[in-house]
Amino acid sequence: MLELSQQAIFSGLLVGSVYALVALGIALTFGAMKIINLAHGELVLLAAYMAYFIESRTGWNPYAAIPLAFAVTGVVSVAVYLLIDRIREHRELNSLILTFAIGIVLTNAILLIFASDVRSTGSPFLQDAISFHTVYAMKSELTAFFLSLAVMAALWWWLKASWYGRAVRAVSSNRDAAMLMGVDPRRVELAAFLVAGVLASVAGVALFTMSVVQPALGPALTVKAFIVTVLAGVGSIPGVFCAALLLGVTEAMTVTLASSALQELVGMVLFLLVLFFMPNGLFGARARRG
Amino acid sequence: MRTLSVPALPALLLAVAAFAVPLVFGANAYIMGLFVSGLIVSGVALAWALLGNLGGMVSFGHAAFFGVGAYASALLSARSGLPVPLSLLAGGAVAALFSLAMLPALRLSGPYFALAILAYAHIFKILATEASWLTGGSAGLARFPTLPTIAGIDFSSRLGSYWLLVAMVAACAAIYLAVKRSHVGTALRAMAESEDATRVVGVNATLLKSWMLLLSAFITGVFGAMNAHIINFLEPDYAFSGSWSVLPIIAAIFGGYRTILGPVAGAVLIYLFDQLVAKALLPVGHQILLGVLLAGMILIAPNGLFGLFGGKRKRAAHAAA
Repeated sequence: MLELSQQAIFSGLLVGSVYALVALGIALTFGAMKIINLAHGELVLLAAYMAYFIESRTGWNPYAAIPLAFAVTGVVSVAVYLLIDRIREHRELNSLILTFAIGIVLTNAILLIFASDVRSTGSPFLQDAISFHTVYAMKSELTAFFLSLAVMAALWWWLKASWYGRAVRAVSSNRDAAMLMGVDPRRVELAAFLVAGVLASVAGVALFTMSVVQPALGPALTVKAFIVTVLAGVGSIPGVFCAALLLGVTEAMTVTLASSALQELVGMVLFLLVLFFMPNGLFGARARRG
Repeated sequence: MRTLSVPALPALLLAVAAFAVPLVFGANAYIMGLFVSGLIVSGVALAWALLGNLGGMVSFGHAAFFGVGAYASALLSARSGLPVPLSLLAGGAVAALFSLAMLPALRLSGPYFALAILAYAHIFKILATEASWLTGGSAGLARFPTLPTIAGIDFSSRLGSYWLLVAMVAACAAIYLAVKRSHVGTALRAMAESEDATRVVGVNATLLKSWMLLLSAFITGVFGAMNAHIINFLEPDYAFSGSWSVLPIIAAIFGGYRTILGPVAGAVLIYLFDQLVAKALLPVGHQILLGVLLAGMILIAPNGLFGLFGGKRKRAAHAAA
């Protein structure tokens, strides 16, 4: 039992890093535009299917699909932005319904192109296991973990040091003030959506290598990312990362100790507990209440 | 000055249409079946629009209430021998009870609430599949009573179900109108303008929103129960299908979610379009057309197709005055 639990914690940490990438994509666009992109899960799924497409056509390592995946998610992400930008009234509600509709379109487009079958990687290299004393991991999981860390570090640097990243943070904290300082919010929002596309492409390809994908997965991914952002409470990268690892570990423990069908349930229970007892999230400041 | 919330002419047109449908299609069981299902969606669309318009909340998870109502009514009528008319109401009541579990989500602001309710719908589908001792699990539930025959009218027949649903939708529209015109409706409208200002004058905004959520869940649950007794078969993937969330949203947006009759008419039209046109064009993935339609409506006419005309008329009247 102890060894099983150790293994579950280890695997959960590795999967959680990918959840963090998905959640950061949603958090980034929410920060910049105060709009939740309900089609973000579908963007991730689209990238996963690009990995499947490349692998099944060429037999290459699915990670070779990242450029193609980024091209596709980038274009779709920018298209989502341009469509949202056309909304004039009741922007908050209408953008939700619009991105929900885009999610339906993407899910069914994937269904039409790739059929409803469950897909996973056939790469023997990625499915190879490496053992560390009592626990083991597939190479795909380790690759995904370290790649996610690298992408998060890059994102952190981008937000901290680059002009656009700083502009995104400026627009997030005070849009009007940022405009007065000469920041064009539309270019910044566009940049945020593009970067969200980058995050989605890496997350999608990683997801394909380490688990199975199917067209109906999109909303579940969006929900997971949402749970992570509520757990984290704030949009900081370390906060989201920790919350995502927590969700990953909780899910893995549930699968190991109870049943795989309850995997999604336990995330929701965690979410409800946080909502009841710590409405500002695990890492949110108390002052933000209300 | 009181504005008339239900324009007399559209209401009259809808009533005429409701009487014309059985006269024209009465002999065609398939088409009547489509209208019956369309009316089910009408009821849910009305409930969705009530929450959206009065409560200011967008729900992506009405399938949860729909499925809970369906299972509650089916199980109560089969296991406890509750008469079906009562079990329909009980289905609504249980759906409302389950919506209490969503109340903590009301703490979340607009977009976060929408996501929370999307998550809830997932949960209920999993619960219904897992609790197979109660629901029969993914194998489904088939042995429960159909709609009864009362005073010589067989409500389980297509025509009987049709008229019952027409009456129920009309009753729900009347309830909606009554709520909208009551002081609760006034408070909710004020809340939509400025929630903080409404709180300051002593309106318990969260309580009112909770009531709207309960009412919306109740109506959705009743229609879910109706559907269960009409179809006479239930399985989690069907009862909690995302379609029960998606179709009412599209119907309400299409018809205009700030109106009362728009979602009702929109639901029947959208359902017929989905079944007769979209499914004929694309047997798999036909929802892509609904998605395109929904996105198009939000971008071009967010106040609905009928709102488009209504808006123009209002503006014209304003200019004339």
